[in-house]
Parts: sequence; C-alpha cells; structure tokens
Amino acid sequence: MKVLRFLAVPALAGLLLAPPAHAQDVVRIGAVLPVTGKESKIGSAYKQATELAVKEANDAGGLTVGGKKLKVQLTLLDDTSDAAKSAQLVEQLITETKVHALTGGYGSQLVQAQSVVPERYGVPYVSAGAGATSIYGRSKWVFGTLSPVEHLARTQMEFLQDLVAGGKLKAPLSIALITEQTEHGNDYAKGVKDYVAAHPGAWSVPLEQKFELYAPDFRPLLGRVQAAKADLFMADAHLEDFITMQRTYTQMGLRNQMITYGARGADEAARKALGAATDYIFASGWWSDLLPYPQVRDFDARYKAATGIAPQWYHAMAYETTRAVLVAIERAGSLEPEKIRAALAALRLEKSIVPGGVLYFTKTGQADLPFVVTQNKPAGKVDLVWPKDAKTGDPIAPIPWK
Amino acid sequence: MEKLAGVLLSSLFAAGLYATMSYGLAVIYGVMRIINLAHAGLMMLAAYVTLSLNTWLGLDPFLSLLVVAPLFFGIGVVLDLTIVRRLPRGGNAPSMQSLLLLFGLWLVLQNLAYLVWSGDTQSILTPYTMTSVHLLGESYGVPLLLVFGVSGLSLVGLDLLLRRTFLGKAIRAVTQNRDAARLSGVNADRISAVAFGLGTAFAAIAGTMMSTLYAFTPDFGRSFLLKAFCIIVLGGLGSFTGVAVGALVLALIENVFAAYTPIPTSFQDAISFSLLVLVLVAAPNGLPALFRGFSRKALAR
Amino acid sequence: MKAPLTRSLVWFGVLAAGLLGAPAAAERGTLNDLWNVAFAIVLASAWNLLGGFAGQISLGYSAFVGIGAYTTVLLAMAGWNPWLTLPVAAALAVAFSVIIGLPTFRLRGPYFSIATIGVGEAVRVIASGVEFTGGSSGLRMPSGGFNFISNYYGMAVLALFTVAVVFFIHHDAFGLALDAIRQDIDAAEALGVQSTRYKLLAHAVSAALVGAAGGLFAMNFQYISPGSVFDFRLSLSIVLMPIVGGIATLVGPVLGAVLFSYLQIKLLASPALRDSYLFIYGGLLMAVMLFEPRGMVGLWERLVRLRSRQRPQAAEA
Repeated sequence: MKVLRFLAVPALAGLLLAPPAHAQDVVRIGAVLPVTGKESKIGSAYKQATELAVKEANDAGGLTVGGKKLKVQLTLLDDTSDAAKSAQLVEQLITETKVHALTGGYGSQLVQAQSVVPERYGVPYVSAGAGATSIYGRSKWVFGTLSPVEHLARTQMEFLQDLVAGGKLKAPLSIALITEQTEHGNDYAKGVKDYVAAHPGAWSVPLEQKFELYAPDFRPLLGRVQAAKADLFMADAHLEDFITMQRTYTQMGLRNQMITYGARGADEAARKALGAATDYIFASGWWSDLLPYPQVRDFDARYKAATGIAPQWYHAMAYETTRAVLVAIERAGSLEPEKIRAALAALRLEKSIVPGGVLYFTKTGQADLPFVVTQNKPAGKVDLVWPKDAKTGDPIAPIPWK
Repeated sequence: MEKLAGVLLSSLFAAGLYATMSYGLAVIYGVMRIINLAHAGLMMLAAYVTLSLNTWLGLDPFLSLLVVAPLFFGIGVVLDLTIVRRLPRGGNAPSMQSLLLLFGLWLVLQNLAYLVWSGDTQSILTPYTMTSVHLLGESYGVPLLLVFGVSGLSLVGLDLLLRRTFLGKAIRAVTQNRDAARLSGVNADRISAVAFGLGTAFAAIAGTMMSTLYAFTPDFGRSFLLKAFCIIVLGGLGSFTGVAVGALVLALIENVFAAYTPIPTSFQDAISFSLLVLVLVAAPNGLPALFRGFSRKALAR
Repeated sequence: MKAPLTRSLVWFGVLAAGLLGAPAAAERGTLNDLWNVAFAIVLASAWNLLGGFAGQISLGYSAFVGIGAYTTVLLAMAGWNPWLTLPVAAALAVAFSVIIGLPTFRLRGPYFSIATIGVGEAVRVIASGVEFTGGSSGLRMPSGGFNFISNYYGMAVLALFTVAVVFFIHHDAFGLALDAIRQDIDAAEALGVQSTRYKLLAHAVSAALVGAAGGLFAMNFQYISPGSVFDFRLSLSIVLMPIVGGIATLVGPVLGAVLFSYLQIKLLASPALRDSYLFIYGGLLMAVMLFEPRGMVGLWERLVRLRSRQRPQAAEA
C-alpha cells in the first residue's frame, strides 16, 4: 500500500516541465487555439491561416524592428476547446515562453477565458475569434478584429431598409427573431431590436424566441413562428441547427419574405445538406471572398496556392489578424509590450483584405468594420449584395416562392 | 380547434420517432435489467453508417434499414457475448457496473466516429427530404411521415414477435422473472444475447431514421437518450406498449407547452428532465402502473 | 480495508509536502498543473463520500461546482472579499444538495444516477437562460486582486482538508453507516441505520467541499459561464476519477485525480493522442468495470495478494 501512495510523488514530479531556451533575435508570437475538440473545425482553420501569415513574413526576410531584421517564431498551443485550459496555456505562453504578443482564441467562451490573462502581465493580445462586445473595453491590452455582432445585425437591418427604399419590400415589416441561447445569439437579437427601436413604425418584432444549441426538434418553435405570421424570418444559429431548422422550415411549408440565419447561409455543408432550400437566404459576415478589392483577389490566389483550399471568412480574419500584429510590431520599432500595444491602438492597416479596405481598432480595442451581406442564388451561386459599391449581383426580394 | 388537431397530429408523429428511439432501451432493460447508456452511441453510429451507404452506394436511408438493422443486431449479439456477459448478474436489480461499462462504450464509439468520419456536421439529402404533405391544414415533411410509418411497423412487428413466437414468449418470461424462466427450461443467457441484439438493432433503426431528419455529429444522441429514459420510465420500465404510451405523453406535453404557453422552447429539455425526476420519484413504476393503482382503488370502493 | 494510522499519516504528509512545498521549487506551468491536480483531488474525494462509501452514484456534481462558482462571482461583484464568499458558496451548495437529495434519495441505484443526470442538465439550461447569472455569456470577477500564489495555496489547503475530512468520516461511526448503506441498504435499515439521513449528510458534506472548490475555480479563472462550470463532461470526469482510482477507498480518488491530470497534460503534448482522449477515458472505464471494479487500488491489492501467496513469510496487507 505504501508504495502505491508514494507513486503520487513521482507522478507529481513528472509534471515538471523543462524550461524552454530563449533566443534573443526572434520575435516570439503566441497563440492558443481549439485545434481539437468541439471547435476544432474552425480552430484548425485559424491555425492554418496564422501559420501561413507567419511563414509569409519569414519568407520575406522577417520583420524589421528598430533597424534589425528579426525572424518570427510562432508557438501555437491546442486548448482542446476547454476554456480553463485555454486560459492556463495563455499564461504559460506569457510566463514561460515569454512571448512578445499574443493572438488566437476562437469562440466567445474561449476568448473570454483567455482575455483575462493579458491584463495581468501587460502583454498585447489580438483575437480574431470573438465578436461579443462584452469581451472588449475592459483592458487596454485586449484587441479584437471581429466587429461586434450587434453591428452584423444592424448591417442586415440597413440592407433590409435599403430594399424598402428601393421598393422591393413594403413597409411596415414584422420580424420573427429566433436566436440561439449564446452570447452571439443575444448580441444579434440586441442589434436587431436596437435598430427596430430607433425606427419605430417601420419595423416590429412580434415574436422573439431563444433556443438551446443542438436542439433535436424545431417543430414546436417553428410552429410559434408560423402562428406569428411575421413578414421576415431572422435567426442566428450554429451550422447544425441552421440545417435542422431550415429543413423543418421547408417541410412545414413556412414562407417569409426574407430569411436569414445571421452569419450562416453560404456554407458548403449547408448547400450540400439542404440543396435548393438554401436559395435566397441572405447572410452577413466579417469577410467574403467575393470582395472586389485587388488585395482580396491576391490573397485568395496566394492562399489557394499555399494550402489548396479557397479561404473562408475564418481563414481570412485569422490571417489578417496575425498580419496586423506583425505590422504593429514593425511600426512600434521595438519589442517592448507598451510600444507594441500603442502601435496596435493607433494601427491603420491599409490595403487590408477586410471590408472597407482598412483595418483599425476603436477605443474599446474591438474593430468596427463594415459587414458584407451575401445572398444565395439558385444553382449554388452566391452574390455579394452589400455594401452596394462592392456588390457582384442584385439582391432578390421578396423571395419568389412558387 | 384546427390548432388542437394540428398539435395532436404533430405529437403523434413525434411520438412515433420517440417510441422507436426507446424500444431499444426498453428491450435491454426488460430482459437484462441493464441500462444501456451506449444506446446514444449506437444510434449515432447507425446514422453514420447510413450516411456512408448513401454517399458510396447511393442507397436510400429507408432502404438501407434492410442492411443496417441486421448488421447492428449482429453487433449487439457480439457486444453481449464479449463484454456484457462478463459482468456479474445482479439478480433482479439493475447494476451500476453495467451502467458505467456501457457508458465507457459510448465514449469509445464517439471517438471511433470522430476518427472515421471527422467531427464535421453531416446530413443526408434525398429527393424527398424537402417535400411535404398537407394534413388537416398543416404541412408535414415526408421524412417525418415515413419515420412514423416505420415506427408503427416496428411496434406491430415487436408485438407480433413477443406474443406469437416462442422466442417472444421466452423474452417475456425472462423479463418477468429470470430464475422462474430458467426453471421452465428457457436458456436465459441465449435470450439475453438475443435481447441485446434486438435492442441494438432498434437503436440502429432509430439512428437511421434520425439521419433523415437531423444533421448530426459524433456528439449526437445525448438529448435523445435522456428523452428515451424519460419515456421508458413514464411507460413503466420493461413494458413495451408502455413505451408507446410514454412516447405519446412526452410528445404531447412538449407540443402543448410550445403551442399554448409562452415558456421558451429552450426550456423544453429542462421540462423533460424535471418530468423524468418527478416520475422517478412519484411514480417509479410508470404511468400505466399508476393508472392501474388508481383504477383498483376506484373499483374497491 | 482500513490501514494503520501511521501509514495514513505518512502518505498524507507526503501529499501535503508535495502540494505545499511546490511553489518554492516549481515553475508557473507546473504550479498550474498542480492546481488542477488539487482541484481534481477535492472533487474526486468529496464525490467518493457519497458515491464510493455510500454507494450512491451521482452524475450531476457539476451543479455544485457551478453553484459555488456563481455564488463567489456574484458576491464579489457586489463588493465582497472573494475569500469570504467561500463559506457562502459552500452553504448554498449544501442547501441545493438537500433540495435535490430529499426527492431523489428515495430512488435506488441506477434510477438515482439517471435522476442526477436530469438534475445536472436542468440546472445548466436554467443558468443559461436566466438574466442575473449572466445567461450564456457568463460572468467575470471584478478585476484586480488576482494573486495566483494565494489561489494555489487555497486550493492545496482545500485538497488536504478534503482528504482529512473524508478520512475522519471513514473512521467514524458515520463512515460505518455509509459502508452499511452501500453494502445492503435494507439490512442497514433493519439494523436501525436511518439511511436517508446519512445519505443527505454525506451529500451535504461533499457538496460543501465541491462548492468551495467551485468558488476557488472562479477566483483562479476570473471568468465563468454555464458551459464551463455546469458541463456534463465535468460531472463525468468527477465520477471517472474515483472509479478508475479505486472507489470507496481513501487513496483511490487521489490516485485517480493524479492519473487524469497527468493524462490531460500528456494528451495536450502529443498530437496523436489528442484526438483519442475519448478512447482513453472510455477504454479505462470499460477496463475497470470488466476486469477490476475496484480500480487501481484493487489492482494493487491483487498484486500484493499474489506476491504474498508466493512468499507466505513476507505476507502483509
């Protein structure tokens, strides 16, 4: 029995990790991402994009910091989609690997958990992984490149308002607002309701419902939607729920003038799962490969050449975020945390692939860039329909139900 | 009144799916007093197998039932012989060991699915997936009706098996009293293997059907598993017609709450769980036993 | 099997020295890992009181972690000193344990376990949907006042305290009553043991410890959400640790806690294993149930018995 108990000691001792060596002539960047686990699909995409951005910087000779050419060393750790682990790994990157700046995190929960750490040690942190407003504005060290989800909703409302102004839809319009029980969903609902409150008379929300993630059966919920007889159907959901809900929606014979699932709509998997039932759904997002800027065409080609896949919004945002961190370090001309932080706060990244063409952060540290709206067209086509100066096709409204 | 008809019909169709999902659990519990937590994993696995058959061979999910059900029957028998058999039999009381063992199996099945099919969301699209039928002023998806049809056939089939065949009688005997059945010459071990096979086959049937209705990942099945528990407890653990009753009751409660109360549907799960706990505590032998108790008291007056 | 007092004191001393002495010698990364181990020890040992000794396997213990965590954060947001919130966190967890225990302890064996799954999930869904708990966005501790070393010592002391409490209960008449309940509840009742009262008591003590641990969790991570503290997977790992380590033993939960924490670290380090953690957990659980229901402790005892059969003069328990 004694020996068994003593096993505890070597086991505890076995947890001692060897301290890593610290090279002096590199820029150390750290990132903690959900490469495996629940968020692994997009987490691993972020990993790929982040690594590509670092590779491109190193292939070009590295960063010029204060006159010296320095290579970039990326330490990327997997938090297995666990929030507590995520925070602990960020701490490890700061205290043991001694990174100069951090990027990473995907998903509100993981980014929230990570974001309490940079404040403690004074290390700049830029996340491409969460648009929830509650994360930002609490610490000057925390930045985010995903614009607030409320503004995603507001952009959709502006798009819809424009359709009314153009005569395609007739005011007043009522909305059935169906959101998932998460921060993302709550922010989306707030964005819609704030716009409606600011424009009374033209808009109303007679039905607002929340649903649990991965719910098995949406029939009762959609039954309420049917009874509400609203003009527009606006929802915010994860991919699985989008697929299940839209299936049930179609089978129940629901018909609204316009349908959206927030950021969902043009996803490959959804097209495959729903076929023609995804036609005319409009979606709003942080990025689209349909943006007509030359730097986007260029990025698209480079990404395909390097990885073999066409970049989605998550690849693009992760890439550009990493690039923003590297550029900020160059512009700071130093590896001192405060100088890097100041450079980030003042950053205006021109010729950026983001909508609007310029990446910058607001006072809270979160970016507030324009959103794009895309609409699915028949036969698998997708059109960029907003902002109007970047559109590749005209929006079709209302949906031409047969 | 039209609304009520719609609610009742929706409940009926939902009950069909719920019942099929629960037979598997009920059979295994009834015969072996084992609570099969791997049930969710087996449903999920069957959904993925159906997906693969559909992707590689273009086989329609409902037709693939002819392949999937016997396949999983075999898998169930093998599982019983290799794993479940090794556990000490706890007499007439359900054992914790089997609960935990099968739970471990569920975790293993999940990982298997991740490795073979990846964690991506999957779904099956057939030409009839998006079509619907009009009944009593409402639309019902064709897959839902087909699922209901299969459920009905399963119930009838199970009933016939249990009442008209020797195997069925043996199963019922072992369910009522294992030792007495053995004294009557029934090979209880063989019956257990068959029961586990049957239970697994039903789980597979449920999984295949659900693959036509929902999108799924390896995590799929957990909330269904909990609903299934609710149902077999409502229906009286070990009774097969009780399962149909329990399924109908649960579906009715869910649809009535959704149609007539403002309670958010996100609380739906909390409601079914509360119901589960309530029934376990207040009526552990299920509603039919409760009713029998009431009617006995009423008659006694 | 009750080991002599001196032996128990020795290994307790080793554990204490290891946990309390570490900050002097180890790096932050290791201390993070040890904090995780201490947290796991509290959860596993506390659970074992009801699940192992009393034989009532609850699959809903994350509810207590969550209640503790949310109590601490909400009171801290109202201006309380976080350390002072811990007794309240424990008290609320106890209250909840009684509310749940009264109806569910009427159930036996697996029915009780299933009921606890239901309870755990219902709590999570409600916490996600209610405003004052921050809903699904979760809550943050007020900033400032974070001191990892204090947090570390807090958790280490709680772990040692938990092990000590379980030890004393086990060696007390209370522990005997729990053993009797586990082995045959009807016989115990016949002998005058009021099983429900003892079950409620064991539930309450373990809930208090787990609730306090939840509060410390909130203090260390500063951000909590229903997904992180009311997670079913947390309930699962709380159950797996003592089962694999050795249910109904004193050292089993500690072994299980160390093993699982170690596995977590190894899994993170190796890409090949990272995708297989469910295999490992599920496989371990199945192996334990099939071959050695008494877990690692049982395995060890079997080895010892084998050895003593070969060398009878060196026989010792």
